[in-house]
Amino acid sequence: MTARPTAPDYSSLDPCVHCGFCLPACPTYLATGDESDSPRGRIVLMRALERGEIGADDAALLQHLDACLGCLGCEPVCPSGVGYGRGIQTAREQLFARRGPSPLAAAVLGVFRRDRVWRPAFTVARWLRATGLPRVLAGGGRAGFGMGMLAASAPATARGGAPGRRLARPSAAAAAPTVALFRGCVMDTLFGHVHDATRRTLEANGYRVVEVEGQVCCGALHEHAGDRAAAESLARSNVEALAGSADWIVVNSAGCGALLKAYGHLLGTEAATELAGRVRDVSELLADRGPRPGGELPLEVAYDAPCHLQHAQRVHAAPLAVLGAVPGLRLRLLPSSDKCCGSAGIYSVLRPDMARAVLDLKIQSFAQADPRPDVVATGNPGCLMQIGAGLRAAGLAIRVVHPVELLDESYRRAKIYG
Amino acid sequence: MSPALIEELGRIVGPRWVRHRRAELKTYAMDGLPTRESYPGVVVIPASSSEVREVVRLLHLAGAPFVARGAGTGLSGGAVADPETVLIALTRMNRILHVDPVRRRAVVQPGVVNARLSEAVAPLGLHYVPDPSSQAACTVGGNVAENAGGPHCLKYGVTTNHIVQLEVVLPDGSTVELGSPHGEPWGPDLVGLFVGSEGMFGIVTAITVRLEPVPASVRTLLADFPTVRAASEAVSSVIATGIVPAAMEMMDRACVAAVEASIYAAGYPTDAAAVLLVELDGQPDAVEAESETVRAILCERGARSVRSASSAADRARLWQGRKKAFGAMGRIAPDLAVQDAVVPRSALPDIMDRIAEIRDRHGLSISNVFHAGDGNLHPNISFDRGDPDLVHRVHVACHEIMAVCVAAGGSITGEHGVGSDKLDYMPWIFSPETLAAMRAVRRVFDPAERANPGKVVPVHACREWRAARGAQ
Repeated sequence: MTARPTAPDYSSLDPCVHCGFCLPACPTYLATGDESDSPRGRIVLMRALERGEIGADDAALLQHLDACLGCLGCEPVCPSGVGYGRGIQTAREQLFARRGPSPLAAAVLGVFRRDRVWRPAFTVARWLRATGLPRVLAGGGRAGFGMGMLAASAPATARGGAPGRRLARPSAAAAAPTVALFRGCVMDTLFGHVHDATRRTLEANGYRVVEVEGQVCCGALHEHAGDRAAAESLARSNVEALAGSADWIVVNSAGCGALLKAYGHLLGTEAATELAGRVRDVSELLADRGPRPGGELPLEVAYDAPCHLQHAQRVHAAPLAVLGAVPGLRLRLLPSSDKCCGSAGIYSVLRPDMARAVLDLKIQSFAQADPRPDVVATGNPGCLMQIGAGLRAAGLAIRVVHPVELLDESYRRAKIYG
Repeated sequence: MSPALIEELGRIVGPRWVRHRRAELKTYAMDGLPTRESYPGVVVIPASSSEVREVVRLLHLAGAPFVARGAGTGLSGGAVADPETVLIALTRMNRILHVDPVRRRAVVQPGVVNARLSEAVAPLGLHYVPDPSSQAACTVGGNVAENAGGPHCLKYGVTTNHIVQLEVVLPDGSTVELGSPHGEPWGPDLVGLFVGSEGMFGIVTAITVRLEPVPASVRTLLADFPTVRAASEAVSSVIATGIVPAAMEMMDRACVAAVEASIYAAGYPTDAAAVLLVELDGQPDAVEAESETVRAILCERGARSVRSASSAADRARLWQGRKKAFGAMGRIAPDLAVQDAVVPRSALPDIMDRIAEIRDRHGLSISNVFHAGDGNLHPNISFDRGDPDLVHRVHVACHEIMAVCVAAGGSITGEHGVGSDKLDYMPWIFSPETLAAMRAVRRVFDPAERANPGKVVPVHACREWRAARGAQ
């Protein structure tokens, strides 16, 4: 256990002068119009918590701090550079230490702590998905929305799901940089097809992908909930498994990537810092190589930026470069493309009403778009499922895919894989 | 606040849109001016004109005071309420109801964010001109209440010049239409009276605004000066030619340093004593000729360099830096007192010297960012409220700066309003008779003075109050 300061440190909030420029960047404020659900309002609450003016068991304080998605959309618009993310993380750890997780949160977080629990659970989910039932049952109600999420995790084409298909003749020479794929939990089970597309497109761009055993869940869900001990424990396992494995650690889930890049900060060890420095989103590695162009894919594609890619990792251009390598693909950014979809880790499970209110703003912009996109591309499993379910609930025939899936399909058309 | 009233409010807007727990009230205890803090009694967030009407009607019957609030970006403590008062937040009323591109009008709800309106009508080649620096967050309803200004008001006028009709819920719950969509001045100019009334006359629930065509050509110049005085003199010289720039903004070294350290860094030279941002717009030929004239004057007045924005993106960056400057002041110290005063343009160079003298005498950190073209100053005093002695010096310095501006023939506010922050200064520029007249007008709309009580018109300074006190 690393030593932690006894008094929670909220100094990152000091520069806030209460200007309110963060309000329109906050998805929950946009959904409710209530300043208690805004970054500025939450900063006031955190400061009150820090000073002891409001107790850590105050129901209203808990409600509004818990309602924060943690999307960090407020940080890039703040002229004073307030470290909102660090502040809310401190608050979450302080509150977690005091009250622990809710029974539902404890159950969900417990599942992700042990792969002998989550792996069978997601395997069952995959079987259920294979029956085609989720697609039929998808709808706007709570159960229907859950089914829609599962349906949205399915590969877009039957071919895309071909497990483990690799390059016939890997272009990777011995000198090619090696890449270890971070498998994760949801990605490794429900999104195996995205892992396959990741491997294929990286090898087509001159990387050699290696497999590393002994990985566990990244711990982002636990960290997000304030359960730092669990996050640290998972992080340590991953650092041990991945250390020295490859030149790069590639992640295709923005949420996992954001935490892996912050392992150094989380664990405070040299090994963790060294590892974190080698973590890249798949789009970054591909963009470094161009990526090489593929075959034509005449599609209207709306790119939707995962919060943990654009705000936490500050990766903006790379996913656009990946999509730009697909000839014929018409890429667009809709007005809501930089706003959180409401997924936010396990937020959509714990606070479904607010998650849906936040999602609805995004779905509206898809519905109003002219021409309507054929495909939404976004690089995070939670976003893929949340947006996919929202589109199904709204009756919009728009597919949701990971950007590398489109590049993969494009390469297939160009017969790059032989 | 009485539980019965809270329940009644919940019946109108739905219980989840009534906020009354202490933590929630705390998030509404300040606006953009964190030096004035006061918990409201309850916050109610209505969704429609009819809900506003019902809420105000209920408060009328209950005799309860109320304050209307938009995004809470105001800088005079105008949108905060005391524990006896109901705060009515209009942020959920954020729809653009109608756009008429031919007659160039839009009808919006009060909670529409200023910048969203211009974005929405941009595809039609139109925009809503008043552009307060907080436009990314502030609401049109709040702009109406404060008669908000902004950089481009130098050429195009302030909010009141762009509002043609208002739907207003009066403090007794009745609804009236002021003005007309045509904008013709039929009868008394009640729109003009209402705009800038800072919430004293009622709550606006629908606003018909003028839209203007986006100028055919725009040129933005960035000039930097070795002294604040030289920059101030350059401003007067430009205006003296008869050219009216769309905007003319000044930032001093301290302000530039804060902006350049932020994500809105615009490439302002950090070693300059002052930078001027001058924008010219109109037909291409005229803009070209005027910008050459302005460039020559700026150089003549000692500008070290004058550069023109190279692209639309560069121009946007230059403006973002200016508009986010106030928000960037948190980089200097955790607390900020934003001042707002107007002085005759010709007095600018001397006033800037006087402000520097006041700053040095009190050992304060002051950064200046302001609308130089119309003499609207914003000295920003950075401080830490944890230091009581410093807080006192800030308070004294604010008074002194205001006194200097008034003595130079200026005014106590240019665009931020009086609210509660400037209440004490009102008697400096208005006689007891004038203040009594203001109060009488207020009472026409609101006989019991329940709408934004205690703000704008200082009761203790008006004639009746003095007479009553004198009789004691």
